[in-house]
Amino acid sequence: MIEVTVNGQAHRLDADPDMPLLWALRDLVGLTGTKYGCGIAQCGACTVHVDGVPTRSCQTRLGDLAGRRVTTIEGLHPEGRHPVQVAWVEHQVPQCGFCQSGQIMTAAALLSETRRPTDADIDAAMAGHICRCGTYQRIRAAIHDAAAKA
Amino acid sequence: MDGLMERRTILKAAAAALVVPVAPALAQPAPPRVITEAAANSPNGGPGQVTAFLRIGTDGKVTFASPVTEMGQGTHTSHAMIVADELDCALSAVEVIAGQPEPALRLQPVNEMYSGASFGIRFWHDRIRRACAQARMVLVEAAAQRLGVPADQLATAEGRVTHAASGRALSYGELAEAAARLPLPEQPRIKPAAERRITGRNAPRFDIPAKTNGSAVYGHDIRLPGMAFAVARLSPVFGAELDGFDRASVAGIRGIVDVVPLKNGVAVVAENTWAAMEGAKRIAVRFKPTPEQNLDSAELSRRLRAGLEAPDAFRGKNDGDIEATLRGAARVVEATYEAPYLAHAPMETENATVRIQGDRVEVWSSTQHQDWCVRDAARAAGVPPANVRIHTPMTGGGFGRRLHTEVVEQATLVAKAVNRPVRLIWTREDEFAQSYWRPAFAAKMQAALDAQGRVIGFNIRAAGQSVMGDYRPALFAGPLRGNDPFSLQSVSDTRYRFGAFRAEWKRVEAAPKVWLWRSVGSSQFGFFIESFLDEVAQAAGKDPLALRRELLAHDARALRVLNTAAEQGGWGTPLAAGRHRGIAYMECYGSLCAQVAEISVANNQVRVHRVTVAIDSGDVVNPDTVAAQMQGGVVWGLSAMAGEKVTLKGGAAEQRNFDAYPILRIGSAPAQVDVHIIRSGEALGGIGEPGVPPLAPAVCNAIFAATGRRLRSLPLSDHGLSV
Repeated sequence: MIEVTVNGQAHRLDADPDMPLLWALRDLVGLTGTKYGCGIAQCGACTVHVDGVPTRSCQTRLGDLAGRRVTTIEGLHPEGRHPVQVAWVEHQVPQCGFCQSGQIMTAAALLSETRRPTDADIDAAMAGHICRCGTYQRIRAAIHDAAAKA
Repeated sequence: MDGLMERRTILKAAAAALVVPVAPALAQPAPPRVITEAAANSPNGGPGQVTAFLRIGTDGKVTFASPVTEMGQGTHTSHAMIVADELDCALSAVEVIAGQPEPALRLQPVNEMYSGASFGIRFWHDRIRRACAQARMVLVEAAAQRLGVPADQLATAEGRVTHAASGRALSYGELAEAAARLPLPEQPRIKPAAERRITGRNAPRFDIPAKTNGSAVYGHDIRLPGMAFAVARLSPVFGAELDGFDRASVAGIRGIVDVVPLKNGVAVVAENTWAAMEGAKRIAVRFKPTPEQNLDSAELSRRLRAGLEAPDAFRGKNDGDIEATLRGAARVVEATYEAPYLAHAPMETENATVRIQGDRVEVWSSTQHQDWCVRDAARAAGVPPANVRIHTPMTGGGFGRRLHTEVVEQATLVAKAVNRPVRLIWTREDEFAQSYWRPAFAAKMQAALDAQGRVIGFNIRAAGQSVMGDYRPALFAGPLRGNDPFSLQSVSDTRYRFGAFRAEWKRVEAAPKVWLWRSVGSSQFGFFIESFLDEVAQAAGKDPLALRRELLAHDARALRVLNTAAEQGGWGTPLAAGRHRGIAYMECYGSLCAQVAEISVANNQVRVHRVTVAIDSGDVVNPDTVAAQMQGGVVWGLSAMAGEKVTLKGGAAEQRNFDAYPILRIGSAPAQVDVHIIRSGEALGGIGEPGVPPLAPAVCNAIFAATGRRLRSLPLSDHGLSV
């Protein structure tokens, strides 16, 4: 049994400690907002927070998470109204949306570190994420807007 | 479309018994919660089923069964806007669900339910309006009967029928059951443009909130009670069939259920995805040899070049005497271009979930082609197609990729073999290796100029594999008689007037399958022709915009698109130091698009600062989604030209994941993409694809302006340039 805390709730999971957090979240805990895109930390679709730090859940062993706090897109804000989520809706950012949980988790972490990020800050922070639909222009605008309103 | 108005067509539930996993309340994971949302809201032939598309509940809620897959292009919201507009109800009263393949929901003339060719609005707009106008008229008629007044004294607004003289009103919900029993008028009065209140103005997309909080359900997220998790391991070589596998090689993995052989690989089935994926990675599997297992990119390029010189070819256009024109020309400009195989690489890999119960099959798949899902599942399960139901969840990108339904056949075989519901997904590696690609193409072009530098002839010979030959082989070999409309797309039907004009295509054969990739043939021909026209302008000593204006002088609509992009993009006005512009124009899927790219180049690093887009799709339903598709199309085009290519070695793709197949990232995206929508009032055109083709030539032409380097192949990374 492995104990992990996800979105403030303690879970005891009967799983191989080598199982990546991504699959534990999706298949065992039942939180599917975190996505599989590549499995090699290239696309960012699986990004969650581990102790507040954006982390690729496809590369994070379940066995390494004892005592750590995991936050997924479902737990970012109790009503889904984190300033980044609000800005994402206002700017109509997502197209297919598959990458956006990861994008939002990294953007939220960026704003908690850097209150008023520049374009360069945004490009650097978001560089690990692929959006195949090409929503980058709106992602940038939404992050600036969320920063201005936070 | 006679079948469109078939009354009370039984539309089956679109998303029945979908299981959405929820966070467990206890330390041990709780079983997934089963919801049957469709039971409450699906058009199902019950009371209130007014047309094949529409059901109106007693509460006034309008449910629209969309014939189109929502892939992020916003079509479901646009359909709701059309419904609300024509039916006279609030947009918030309309719910859109993915429909089932039924006569009224099939595209013609092929008579299949699918989402492609940027058809979401341009094919369906008038048909949805007509259905809603019919529904509005029977609601009014029902009210007239109920109130005992003539129908022409009644008006509709906000989901109610009102009688101004008496001040009485009835809601659609009160009228729906009676209205559904009335015959639909054959000639409904459809609102003219001036009366439309909802379409043509921005409306927020319905699907977006769920895509910001993790609650949107994609194919990867489907979970059924008792479901097993399967991951495929497929041959990296196209056409290679399974020879054998060693079951013992995965025996040590906890949670493995079974290994199921497939035609071109195996599916490893387990109690969770990770075990299945580990099994798929580790399993020892052998494939049979194929005739093309030594095919590499050099050989493919040789075949393309041979196609350019082949004595025979399909002739898509032959106006005037091109040979004589070239012989008599004051000057001939000639160049050969080449474009690589490209992958769709949607963020969500191929997947299907299948449940077989007796002789009934249910399929959930992020698909663009519902009828082919049904066909493939029926074939694999050995049941009639009528016994298969297809549910279309949210789709993590389409771009043409999901018109291919092989994964449904595979998942059905696996579900049958293990006697459990199964969700099968492909790994990213197989998604690259076994995806069908945009064909690699080459083209040799010649332009004849007279002594004044006017274009008097244009000759193009293209060579590449046939998309139609792989996509619809029976149609290609049969009625089309070898004419692949994608093989000279946006070429044979160009609005440019060149004088003598010949366009030819030589089919090239190779094992990799080629497929519809966002903007299809126009994607490579945009690069070829619009780059070459820049060369022609250079040779003729003309401004590239001026040359295009000459070639389009007879066509006011095209000129307006070209001129709008030029004016809004500042063509001909002074540029900041180090900045350069390029322009390109192309028409595809019924829409005209011109783009001006403003770039700089330093140390072989190309920066695209700004792209100005002019788009004329006739009219628009939701302008902000048009802007989003143009912005996305620009990034798509820039990503492809910057670094995307699939190369072959040993018959297989050398790029198997995003580390080797680079998708454009945020730092390389243009800071500014300005979209100018022209509402010409012409026939509706598509929006998903036309934003792509002009981008690569506009940027390449700007690179020429900046550096004097003419780039005749892509991607830029092959030329030592990065974006």
